[in-house]
Amino acid sequence: MSALKGLRIVEITEQVTGEYAARLLADFGAETLKIEPPGGSPVRAILPDEDQDGLLFAWLNTNKRSVVIDPDAPEAIGLIDRALTRADALVTDLAPEAAARLGIDRDRIADVHPHLVRCAITPFGETAPDEWQQLRAINIINASGWAWHSPSEALPDSPPLQGPGPFLAAFEAGLEAALATSASLWRKRQTGQGQNVDISAVATMLSRADCVLGRMLAGEQDPSHARTCYDMGGPGRTFACADGHVFLIMTTQAHWTGLSQLMDAPEWLLDFPPDWLEFHCTPDRVARFRQHFAEWVAGQPRNALSDKAQRLGVPLVPVNRPGDLPRHDQFLHRGFFQRLGDRVYPTVPYRMSASPTRIATPAPVLGADQAMLS
Amino acid sequence: MTGPASRGGPLQGIRVLEITKVWAGPYAGKLLAFLGAEVIKVESLTNLDEMRAYGGVDINSAPYFLSINQEVGSVQVNMKSQDGMDLLRRMIAQCDVLIDNLRPGAMERLGLGYDQVKEIRPDIIQLSIKMYGNDGPLGYQTGYAPCFAAIGGLTALTGHDRSEPQGMNIRYGDSTVGASAAFAIVAALHHRATTGEGQFIDVSAVETMSAMVGDSLFAALNGGAPVYPVGNGHPACAPHGCYPCRDGQWLSIAAESDEQWQAMCQTLAIALPGFENLTARLGSREAIDLAVADATRQREAEPLAEQLRRAGVPAFRSQSALDLVGNEWLWASEAFRLVTDDSGNSRPVIGPGWRMSPDEARIERGAPNLGAQNDYVYRHLLGLDEAEYTDLKMRNVIS
Repeated sequence: MSALKGLRIVEITEQVTGEYAARLLADFGAETLKIEPPGGSPVRAILPDEDQDGLLFAWLNTNKRSVVIDPDAPEAIGLIDRALTRADALVTDLAPEAAARLGIDRDRIADVHPHLVRCAITPFGETAPDEWQQLRAINIINASGWAWHSPSEALPDSPPLQGPGPFLAAFEAGLEAALATSASLWRKRQTGQGQNVDISAVATMLSRADCVLGRMLAGEQDPSHARTCYDMGGPGRTFACADGHVFLIMTTQAHWTGLSQLMDAPEWLLDFPPDWLEFHCTPDRVARFRQHFAEWVAGQPRNALSDKAQRLGVPLVPVNRPGDLPRHDQFLHRGFFQRLGDRVYPTVPYRMSASPTRIATPAPVLGADQAMLS
Repeated sequence: MTGPASRGGPLQGIRVLEITKVWAGPYAGKLLAFLGAEVIKVESLTNLDEMRAYGGVDINSAPYFLSINQEVGSVQVNMKSQDGMDLLRRMIAQCDVLIDNLRPGAMERLGLGYDQVKEIRPDIIQLSIKMYGNDGPLGYQTGYAPCFAAIGGLTALTGHDRSEPQGMNIRYGDSTVGASAAFAIVAALHHRATTGEGQFIDVSAVETMSAMVGDSLFAALNGGAPVYPVGNGHPACAPHGCYPCRDGQWLSIAAESDEQWQAMCQTLAIALPGFENLTARLGSREAIDLAVADATRQREAEPLAEQLRRAGVPAFRSQSALDLVGNEWLWASEAFRLVTDDSGNSRPVIGPGWRMSPDEARIERGAPNLGAQNDYVYRHLLGLDEAEYTDLKMRNVIS
């Protein structure tokens, strides 16, 4: 049995962020009904896969059902209302104006469906200026500071970076939405009452920097335009090795001692004071260290070196590529990847002893569950 | 000696005990507190959260600690003493949730493995965060947030150059792991409500990072996407990126539809015949990026962003830390807000990503002084009398 079994979610979304939020709830067993326009979710068209819907859609919509409601049809609002009457929560990422056209704006829902938890995900929150409501995830991650400060040691003439793909801010906001919605559903369980949950994707990304940006807000570190002002200093970065890359981070004398053992104490290490990482970590030393280390590590094998480093207490790890993970001993042990049909899915980052999650059904064909509307 | 005043919020009435350090664990506790739960952090002078030491000498005014642990309480217990552990077990009996992010094996050595905790409180929800999860062939290993991102596949997909993985900023990862953990806890509360069962939740920080690139992993494993960094690219949108403006500014633009493309060209006063449809644009990303960058380079980012948005093109100036701190909307919408600490000082902090109505949990109190909730926990929750309480303090069981 899954943790959210018995809870019913209606999803009216047109972007990755809302689909991801509802997917997280569906992962835990919430019955999730996706309402799509006649052409289907725009996400279906991204990363097209021969005759099937796009791979992005396939990943974002497992464990859901799909019905089609034409937003321009006169009965649209009535049909949506009927679905909402039977639901515990609504998840949407429509801009407030578009939500109002479907009768799912905040005021009407509070009025007509007071039992409902209504979660709306928008770039800056629903009360933000209209012209901000159209922003996409790349704008959001830039509005939040994470792009400006990524990667670490960003050069001034290199563009701010969106992350591992265009959707990082969309996923983070979706996670925040799933957390807040499930908490609000807990309240509904106790009180029978609904609630409006207004998620700001930008505020979510800011919260993820609480102890970096927060110290600047409080005046304990000077905020600046420097691309590097979120960085930690120190020699940590990725290095190319014989068969890929490793990531090394060192902050203490114990790390340094371990690294010396790992490298069989080459002579150049003697140029560095033993406590340099803690007390004498100058840019010049960092640069010299990196030059030497890069030469040495270039000939080393990624996984064997990482294992040896761990045993010596050095935080040096492999930079795994997507294809490495399904064959990775630890991922296999935990069952992170699940096969369903002819596809392999990454699942959830936890194992739950009493309510394990499972991908039971692939993303639905458009309108596959139309009968549920009657 | 009454409990803390009710702050409202959806998780009102839920009590959480956290034995957490640094960032990921405390961040999970903070989010639950921001949702209205009563969260108490177990601390001791002999085993302090490192964050109480970074950046200062006063453990009650350490910048890192103060910027994370708002609305969380603090109780002191000496976990190196048998009496201390007995008291801790009595606290656990009074709690719905127990969170830790100690090193692998540390909870078991304290006698607080799930089997033992379940004896104290059968329906407890115990959540444990480790780099690789609690067991398995690599379960013994430890690391920092950028290690989670590297192992989990996120770093390999992040960078400007397809041959050089750079990763997100080195600070990325811990807070995401905490948020993910908080969500699993709330889900487990629902499970307990319907079945009466508690459970153990074993969180892998590495897999949390993998989940944040789940789209790329899924696409790569099922034959359809690049397995290298894509810079600022998007599979179905061009232009999509950050473009240089005057004075070292950058402007993010995502023009998806043909109408947005036309509106963008018009606003930037450029003509690029042959790219009227998306397929053509997707096939010539680099040429388009160069043309857009040429057009933005001499413009001021802020007014240009506004012009583009008015024309219907998603655009926003890339903000630095300095921009953010001075951003009026973020203060007005309480993304940034003030809390008051135990010494009466006010401090600006970053709020959560949500606003709720009605019944939003109030967020007013800053991070706790060490042991700020000792009286409440020992006298009220555990019901000790004054003599017992004084004796425990004298014997450094509460220290």
